[in-house]
Amino acid sequence: MPLEPFKISNPLTLGVELELQLVNLSNFDLTDASSDMLHLLRRANFPGNVTPEVTESMIEINTDIHTNHAELLDQLQNIRDTLVRAGDALNVGVCGGGTHPFQHWSERKIFAKPRFKEVSALYGYLIKQFTVFGQHIHVGCASGDDALFLLHSLNRYVPHFIALSASSPYFQGVDTQFNSARLNSVFAFPLSGRAPFLLRWADFESVYFAKMEGTGIVKSMKDFYWDIRPKPEFGTIELRVCDTPLTMERAAALAGYLQTLCRHLLTRTEPPPTEDDYLVYNYNRFQACRFGLDGTLVHPKSHETLSLREDILTTLRHIEPHAEALGSLAALEHLYTVIHEGSDASYLRKQYVERGGTEGMVDSAIRKFRAHR
Amino acid sequence: MQDFLLISPDLAWPFALALAWIVGEFAHRLIRVPRISSYGIVGFFLASGQSGFLPSVDSGAIMLLANIAFGLILFELGCRINLRWLRTNPWLGVTSLVEASATFAAVFLVARWFDMPLIPSLLLSSLAMATSPAGVLRVVNEQRSSGQVTERILHLSAFNCVLAVFTFKAVVGLWVFQSTGDILHALWNSLIVLLVSAMIGGIFGVAVPSLLKKLGNRGHDATVAFAIAVIILVVLTHTLQFSPVPAALAFGLMARHRRIALSQAQQNFGALGNMLTVLLFVFMAATLEWPMVMAGAGLALVLMVVRFAVKTACIVAFARLSGITSRKGLLTGMALTPLSAFVILLLEQTRHLGIGLMDQMAALAAITLMLEIIGPIATQWALVLAKEVPDTTGT
Repeated sequence: MPLEPFKISNPLTLGVELELQLVNLSNFDLTDASSDMLHLLRRANFPGNVTPEVTESMIEINTDIHTNHAELLDQLQNIRDTLVRAGDALNVGVCGGGTHPFQHWSERKIFAKPRFKEVSALYGYLIKQFTVFGQHIHVGCASGDDALFLLHSLNRYVPHFIALSASSPYFQGVDTQFNSARLNSVFAFPLSGRAPFLLRWADFESVYFAKMEGTGIVKSMKDFYWDIRPKPEFGTIELRVCDTPLTMERAAALAGYLQTLCRHLLTRTEPPPTEDDYLVYNYNRFQACRFGLDGTLVHPKSHETLSLREDILTTLRHIEPHAEALGSLAALEHLYTVIHEGSDASYLRKQYVERGGTEGMVDSAIRKFRAHR
Repeated sequence: MQDFLLISPDLAWPFALALAWIVGEFAHRLIRVPRISSYGIVGFFLASGQSGFLPSVDSGAIMLLANIAFGLILFELGCRINLRWLRTNPWLGVTSLVEASATFAAVFLVARWFDMPLIPSLLLSSLAMATSPAGVLRVVNEQRSSGQVTERILHLSAFNCVLAVFTFKAVVGLWVFQSTGDILHALWNSLIVLLVSAMIGGIFGVAVPSLLKKLGNRGHDATVAFAIAVIILVVLTHTLQFSPVPAALAFGLMARHRRIALSQAQQNFGALGNMLTVLLFVFMAATLEWPMVMAGAGLALVLMVVRFAVKTACIVAFARLSGITSRKGLLTGMALTPLSAFVILLLEQTRHLGIGLMDQMAALAAITLMLEIIGPIATQWALVLAKEVPDTTGT
């Protein structure tokens, strides 16, 4: 089936998907509760949309399409309150975080749905190991060409989003020394990484996708696990590198940042993206995963070494006029505090010390998810 | 062989455990029967009343070990109970109260209808309220199940156990008062014993985690510490003639809710717990005698059906209100079938009061045997049908 045409949507509209953890409140391990949660949530009037994810211990929520940060935040908070109420009724803890710190992948159950069973048969243990939790942000684009332009212009900012959202320091019971260990799990998939450097939608559609489809490896865009991928049926690009933050406030702020950044990029005042920008891409991405805000970047054009923290601060200041125009100043404000107080990953590491172990860490994550009103 | 065993009856128990374990493993692998069901069958056939392989179970040491095994299971159950859930979902508490009291009423009516005297009828009804926490927890752990049916059977069985012990002790108090006219003696033997036992357990629940925290035992396996504490607690309450059941349960509950240190103990208390479970279930069934089982079989069958029907109907009635489907409600009711471990230990404890209950209640022997074997199978099937057991055939 050829790729469907790129649906035109209102530029800079926003939508957020979040994968959340379902936790047993007795031992703080993941619990297989998504069927029960979905049953209960479908009975209530859910403010948004809720769907099963590949294993029974995750649940995915998504928002409607929004034009600004405040509306988006409002809906995310409503969603959170509904989820917390459902969790309370079923004795299930709901929380953010890119990984569960000590779950064992062999314990996971695949959700009974044909597509999940198929990918599970293909990828084997990779899928169960893929019990990681991400935030996906969609930004509306006026055309397929705009989408590809934004997708490639954003390459230099991908580490920002990784470092700001990082919330997966522990994996399978050990401190990985990474701030976002989750992305290492994503990297194991053969079709992960970045999109090919094409700037015209016509080329992407009729040359690249048609060839790939011809090889028989892919059937739809869903088979690509890229960091940013176009989503023609929505008319959006989808940023997929963020860990699910511990709070809805941070999830909304990250979306607000992306929206503001895209508005700035669309003025086309920055030097245009080139294939060579990707020479430093994987290195920068690694720095952000490993060291978070303390990492360093190599600028793709000038090749100078920058502190990631400084680079984010500079960018935030630079795009402030666009934030004012979009009404997303509050989002940038939130991110300033992240820079100063540390990411969710450093919060979780602190909890490990204060609460005495990974169980206490999960308990803190559950409290943080529900308490931030 | 016979002579050899006569010389050394102490050898009989280790061999019985070995046999029960072997049968349990084979039956589990070949026909997927819950292991504890096999232990019960083996125990019953080896009992002094049947084949005579095992010496009479009056021996104090084995009884104490069985109590310890039960204590470990109750502690683990206590740790898995979230009392806050009663507040966030009041319908769960309502379900529990209704299913337990309806079971009590229904069983009482049936017993009276079968011309059972008043006090034994009341005692039987109070025991029938309880779902065997050992049976439920063992099957849940063996199947590694998780989901609403799993969560609910653990909570409902803990609650109905507490309600059953409470009612049982109240009836015993009533009996003591009737036969001696001594109200103080009556109260002492019932509610005070219960409260003091729970308090001792609660003190352990504060002290042990505090000690672990002092040791800086962060994130490490606390299995040994908790196991030793449970053993001390059981022996202490046993010796002082308090009740180990509420004590161990309160210990677990307190350890969980204080959350001073979130140290994990191994499921089932690891190998030690598994070994003691074999002993517990062999012991339970070994206390039963074939003639009594036969004598009580008729009433037992009726009681079993009534108990099952009442429990299931009550849980289904409140299923939607408490946030699950009627189907899961039905399966929860089905999973609550086991009864046993609990009954024998409670009865054994009342022996020193001179109530020869086991002798009066042949039906209880029969129902205990049937449910010790069938109960875990019902629980296992309920969990499988609820799709809460990992699919071992797939990925």
